[in-house]
Amino acid sequence: MTTMIKTVDVTTALSDVDRFCDIPNARISGEIFHRQDIYEQELEKVFARCWLFVAHESQFKKAGDYIATTMGEDDVIVVRQKDGSHRAFINACPHRGNKVCFSESGNARGFICNYHGWSFDIAGNLIGQHESGIYESSNFDASKWGLREVALIDSYKGLIFANFDADAPSLKEYLGPMAWYFDALFDNQEGGTEFVGGCIRSTMDCNWKIAAENFVGDILHAGWTHDSAARAMLGGAVSKVSDFDESYSVNWHGHGYEFALDTVGNVAVLGESALNKYLHTIKPSVAERLGDFRSNMIGSVSSATIFPNFSFLPGQNTIRVWQPRGPNKIELYTWVLVNKSAPEEIKEKWRKGAMMTFSPTGVFEMDDGENWEYCTKTARGKVTAKQDLYVGLGQDSLLQETDLPANVYSGQLNEANSRAFYQFWSDLLKAPSWNDVPNRNVGRVEAGVAAERCELKEAK
Amino acid sequence: MFYQSEDFAPVSPDEFHNISMLLAREYRLLDEERFDDWLAMLHPEIHYWMPGMENRRRENPLEHGFFDSQHMALFDDAMRDLKRRVARFQQPSAWAENPATRNVHIVAGIEAFRGAMAGEYVVYSTFQSIRSRGLDEEYVFSGRRYDTWADVDGQLKLKKRLILMPNATLNCKNINTFI
Repeated sequence: MTTMIKTVDVTTALSDVDRFCDIPNARISGEIFHRQDIYEQELEKVFARCWLFVAHESQFKKAGDYIATTMGEDDVIVVRQKDGSHRAFINACPHRGNKVCFSESGNARGFICNYHGWSFDIAGNLIGQHESGIYESSNFDASKWGLREVALIDSYKGLIFANFDADAPSLKEYLGPMAWYFDALFDNQEGGTEFVGGCIRSTMDCNWKIAAENFVGDILHAGWTHDSAARAMLGGAVSKVSDFDESYSVNWHGHGYEFALDTVGNVAVLGESALNKYLHTIKPSVAERLGDFRSNMIGSVSSATIFPNFSFLPGQNTIRVWQPRGPNKIELYTWVLVNKSAPEEIKEKWRKGAMMTFSPTGVFEMDDGENWEYCTKTARGKVTAKQDLYVGLGQDSLLQETDLPANVYSGQLNEANSRAFYQFWSDLLKAPSWNDVPNRNVGRVEAGVAAERCELKEAK
Repeated sequence: MFYQSEDFAPVSPDEFHNISMLLAREYRLLDEERFDDWLAMLHPEIHYWMPGMENRRRENPLEHGFFDSQHMALFDDAMRDLKRRVARFQQPSAWAENPATRNVHIVAGIEAFRGAMAGEYVVYSTFQSIRSRGLDEEYVFSGRRYDTWADVDGQLKLKKRLILMPNATLNCKNINTFI
């Protein structure tokens, strides 16, 4: 028997949330990136309550395969069980709290604490200790001292998420209509996706929200910030986003996706024509599977964040978690995603292409780091941190009449997703329970017919 | 096979001197941002590889223990890729390189051997990379290199480089230099 986790007591909300995050007036202040008291509230009210990405199903092949990661600042282990399911446990021994798993991945028959030899099977049961006789003479009940199991675990199209809060909405409800868009990357071919092996980790002296917000809906920075990288990879500037005829920002519950419909704008920056060709080759089958509309999104100029800290770039196929490490620091976990059915040489080009562009040695990422760090560092200034920061682009861009699901805004050059991200964040900081989180969604829960052209084929 | 120095014969004192000078010159060029001169020291078929370090238990080794040629890397470059990286450093719009990053590269612990092929040398060394930006940023990391240098028309060119950093998490935001 594993042991149910004790949940975190939800403390009173900070009194000044509406002042440092005032979305109706399209302003935030820099202190949200720097204040320790706000960060403590985030760990409790965001990271201990939201669905957090922990692993991809392709990282597990057989029973006992495990991934050690973190949820917020909590160490956890995700382990594949004999029945093929996955379970997540707090990576801390219930005796003195030492880590029971010190490696990042592998296969194990169980986990043994290095301190006093408490030994757990892959289902988290305590099955033995060094000097076991002494426990018996103390009437120790081993069934009550298994690894503490994370309350909820579920997956969507290969992505495994876990949640410390047993009262949280289901993962399906949490993702809501955004899942329809995520399928453009995670379900565009039969067989689904897999991670390339390994995980690149790095640190950045910035607040986690800066990174998450950059991916949730900030394509605006790309043309300016990334000019040098684009010229190096493409021999010219990045696509001028304002020239696109049709592009969108969509959001729901703090998740956001901004995208054009140019099919290959993102993948092109990897500078590998074979990848553009691959996407053009699979596009007709994607249209059959997901409809014409989403077949234009498989590698288009786009980015997305699943609230709070899971982000990805379709086309570059870089997958991120921005792990919070205090208000002023993150650890970046970076993976590369490929279609399982893609030819090996295509997977290899994505492995290298994502490294060349969006990784700590990537030519694009080098442009971002300094910006993100100094958005955080300037908030050290007590006076500076109190000043308003503008998040007002696109306030009149909500599309009322559309068949597209979720809250839909016209145009990628738009801060609608950033506002929705911070609004949901501040709603969580104020909400004692999930029932107290206001529903601010105005869009459709299901895609309409026009968005689902070719949908009949998908439904087969 | 990069661990097997016993397979190779040591070089002569003169050869060792020349190779040491070469490694020192390479790092001076990088510190002076002379990237085109640095590229000229590379073999056209270069493989420049810095794999990601994975924190695995001894009984769960990867292809090379804690790294794997099929897994994610920090560099896994051919000449075209290295030229692209240099091109990015040289753009006037590389905002994050102005003011410049100031670099000091230190090489030590050099061992040099005659390679398996005529005109090739196997060279091992340790390095430390120190970078500073702005008024107060400093990033330091160290590691070990396994090189193959090959004679091309009387000049030694870097043909293979494996860079191993001990860190499984890079302790800074990027590697905006070469190692």
